[in-house]
Order: sequence, then C-alpha cells, then structure tokens
Amino acid sequence: MAALTLETLDIINPDLYVQRGYPHEEWALLRKEAPVFRYQRPGVEPFWAITKHADIVTVSRQPELFRSSQLLFISQEEPGSPLPDEAILRQLLNMNPPEHGAYRQVVNRRFTPRAVQQLKNQIETITTEVLDDLVGREECDFVTEVSAKLPLAVIAEMFGIPRADWAMMFRLSNAMIGPADPEYGGSETITENLERARLEFFQYFNQLCEDRRKSPRDDLASALANGSVNGEPLPPFELLSYFALLIIAGNETTRNATTGGLHALISHPDQWERLKRDPSLVSKAVEEIVRWTSPVIQFTRIATADTVLHGQQLRQGDVLALFYPSAGRDEEVFEHSAAFDLGRYPNPHIAFGIGEHYCLGANLARLELRAMFRQLAQRMESVELAGPAQRMRSSFVGGIKHMPIRYRIRA
Amino acid sequence: MRVEVDHNLCEGNGRCVEVASRVFELRDDDRSYVLIQNPPQALRAEIQLAAKLCPRQAIRLIED
Ligand code: HEM
Ligand code: SF4
Repeated sequence: MAALTLETLDIINPDLYVQRGYPHEEWALLRKEAPVFRYQRPGVEPFWAITKHADIVTVSRQPELFRSSQLLFISQEEPGSPLPDEAILRQLLNMNPPEHGAYRQVVNRRFTPRAVQQLKNQIETITTEVLDDLVGREECDFVTEVSAKLPLAVIAEMFGIPRADWAMMFRLSNAMIGPADPEYGGSETITENLERARLEFFQYFNQLCEDRRKSPRDDLASALANGSVNGEPLPPFELLSYFALLIIAGNETTRNATTGGLHALISHPDQWERLKRDPSLVSKAVEEIVRWTSPVIQFTRIATADTVLHGQQLRQGDVLALFYPSAGRDEEVFEHSAAFDLGRYPNPHIAFGIGEHYCLGANLARLELRAMFRQLAQRMESVELAGPAQRMRSSFVGGIKHMPIRYRIRA
Repeated sequence: MRVEVDHNLCEGNGRCVEVASRVFELRDDDRSYVLIQNPPQALRAEIQLAAKLCPRQAIRLIED
C-alpha cells in the first residue's frame, strides 16, 4: 500500500471501513501532524476532522459556540436524494440549549445509575436467556444470536413493549440506523428505506402512547407519553422522535461494543484468561472494551462564530467532526494507548461523548455490558472465530455485522 | 482545597463517583454529594479527573 499522507488519507469512505476496519493509522497521523485538519475530498462536504481527546472535550463543552445540528455525521454522497427537511427527527442529538436541557429532563431520571440499577435483575435474566439459547450447539453468529438481542430487549423492556413485538423493532431500527448498508437497507435507495421504516415506527409508537395516556404505567413509554417540556406536553413529532432516538441510539452501539469486545478478547487470549480468572475485573474490563471498540465513530458540530481551535482559524458555519475512537487512542492521554488492557485505570475515555450531549444511556450500556461479559467469562469454556468477522459499511456507527464463532458453553 | 458540586448543573450520571468514590456519592435525589469538603492533597488527582470528566461541568475545585 502507498505511504499514508495527509493529502490522500481517507476516513469517510464507508467501503474502507468494511475492508480495513477503523482507520487507526490515519487517525494517528492526524493526531500527530494535523489534529484540527481541513478535510476536502470529492463527494464530501469539506469539514474539520478533530482527532485529539482534549480538542473533542473543548468543543463538546461549548454547545453554544459549537452547536449540534441536523447534520449528525459526515457521509459521502451516495445514490438517492437527500432527506426532505420535514423527515428529519427532532431529538436530543440535534437540539441545542436551552431546549435541549428541557427535553433531556423528560427522561433523565430514568437513566441515572440509581434508576438503571433497578433493572439489574431483568438485565441479568435477559442475558442468561440469550446465552442459554447457545447451549447444545458449537457454532453461531455471535452478532445476530447474542449481541444484537440484549440492547433491544432491554430498551423494549424499559419502554414496556410486549415481547411479541421485539423482532419487529429490531428490523425497523436496523433499517433506520444502517441505511447505507445494503444488507440492512434492501435494494432501494437510502431515502425510500428510511421513509418506509420511519412510517412503520411512528404508527406503532403512536398507538403505544395513546394507550399509555389512557392507562399510565411505571414505564418509559408512559414517562414520554405523559411528559412535558416547559409545561406543555411533547408535540407529536418530537414525542415520536424521542422513541426513535432511544431505540436507535442504544441498539447498534451497545451491540457493536459487545461483538467488538468478544472479538478483542479472542484476539488477546491473555486478557480473556485474565477475565475468566477474575470476574471482579468486569467493570474495568467494560470501560476498556468501550474505549477499544468506540462504536460511535463521529458526531458533528457547527461553529457559530469565528474561533481558533488548536491553532487553526475556524469560520462561522464551519463543520467539525469529532472522532471518538481517535480520542480513545490519544497517546497524550492513555499510556500504551494501542494496548488492550482490561485492568486499565484510570480510563478517561470519551467514547460516550462529554458535555451537553453526554450519552444518556451510558449507565445502561455499562450495566448491559457488565452482565454480558461477566456471564461470558463464567460460562464460555472456550471460544474462537469460526470464520472471518464481517464489518459494517458505515463511517458513523462502526463495528462487526457478522461474527461466526465456535464455542463451548456451560448449561 | 475545597470541592463543590453545583446541583443546578449535576444530572446524576455518576461519572465523578466512578473515578473518585472516596470523594463523591450519589444520593436518592440523583445528585452527587461531596463526602469530604476539604480533601487531602493525596486525592487531588482523582478530583481533578472527576472535574474534567463531569459531563455537566458541575464540579468546582476551589484552591484556598
Ligand atoms: C456502548 C454503547 C454506547 C455508546 C458508545 C454511545 C455513544 C454515544 C455518544 C458518543 C453520544 C454523544 C453524542 C454527541 O455528543 O453529539 C451519545 C449520545 C446519546 N446516547 Fe449513547 N451510546 C451508547 C449506548 C447508548 C444507550 C444504551 C442508550 C439508551 C437509550 C443511548 C442513548 C443516547 C442518547 C439518547 C444520546 C443523546 C444525548 C443528548 O444529545 O443529550 N446510548 N451516545
Ligand atoms: S459527574 Fe457531574 S453531573 Fe455526573 S453526577 Fe458527578 S457531578 Fe453530577
């Protein structure tokens, strides 16, 4: 392969993410030589690539100067027309202060450590059930049979969605988050896929909300259906967008952390043995897995004024993309940043973001991942790849789409 | 050195407790409380880390 240069490196083309995985060499070069880098390539709107931990913190902590917008992430032009404005969800990720805080308050209390801790037993039970399904066999696709199941089941449980509907939710959320991937999207254009999925989604949750207004329960759906912002109920579109956000945001991200975590453990047998010997390591292990896999590749911000960042002059209206996986490998923050070390402490990764938009579901994701990796360490007697892992075609949420494994598991 | 948590900003996500459990505690109102108002120097590094990682910038370190 030709030597890497700033002029030619590519960190956006989704096909490269399929072929080679995360572009860690490219990010390392950017961190070293151009931490705030003007990225200009055909087919991509020019933007600033932010790759250092400290700069991502600086930007994320100034939500007035660096606003979130409908442009959630940078992508390459693909066949199919862009989304019409009215089809874009109105949700936390593209809101700004003061509206953003008011909306976040509607459900924040259901996502604090204390609140999610109450779900611990349900999460452990769902995890056990998922792993029980593997008993009696020797091979499976770890993604579809294990990692994909837990996050969806947990958020569905939190909403109060009946089990019979879980499979449908899975299909719709895949269609909505991974439309650039032909397997998830079908053969039509991105726009058609999204619109069809969105319609089905909205119909379902409209019904659910009507039900919870008539007979409220102690679930997340009731909190949203009966919630208010500045004294008013949530408008219909914002309400439905909220449901979509909570399903989408926690689904593929946690799934990819789970798959990527097991993948890392398989390729680092010493760390796998370490976790099996000492399951009390699991909290630290999960932080390291989240740092290592960093399932969200980027979110964007837009500068609202001319400003200087790490020596570069930015102009009002400029777009910035924050590359979280790069921050997780920042040599100035992490010792041996390229080493996968389950005992790493402290581990100040920002794979869940930081500041105004800090991941609402971080405590939930942690709880799910701890349950999963504790039980895996206790029950999986052996595990290895039974074929190559297939990566996702996305430069937004990244990870592994299919991962065949051969294993022995305790009943 | 003194430590304060601004309860108007804190949203109880517990980042501070994760990195400095000797100094911060989450209570039933989902707010973080400071356990040692005047912590010893030995705790400085973890308090600084907590202040840095607090997503809401709710932690203040006041030097005497
Ligand atoms: C390992 C799993 C996860 C990762 C890596 C992750 C990552 C992130 C990141 C980086 C952000 C910040 C966005 C920004 O600054 O613009 C974010 C926001 C968010 N995440 Fe997560 N997330 C995960 C799991 C979850 C789960 C389980 C939920 C549950 C519902 C969730 C819900 C959200 C929501 C609602 C936001 C928007 C918060 C806001 O804008 O105020 N996430 N996440
Ligand atoms: S990290 Fe900040 S916002 Fe979170 S609980 Fe601690 S003080 Fe509150």
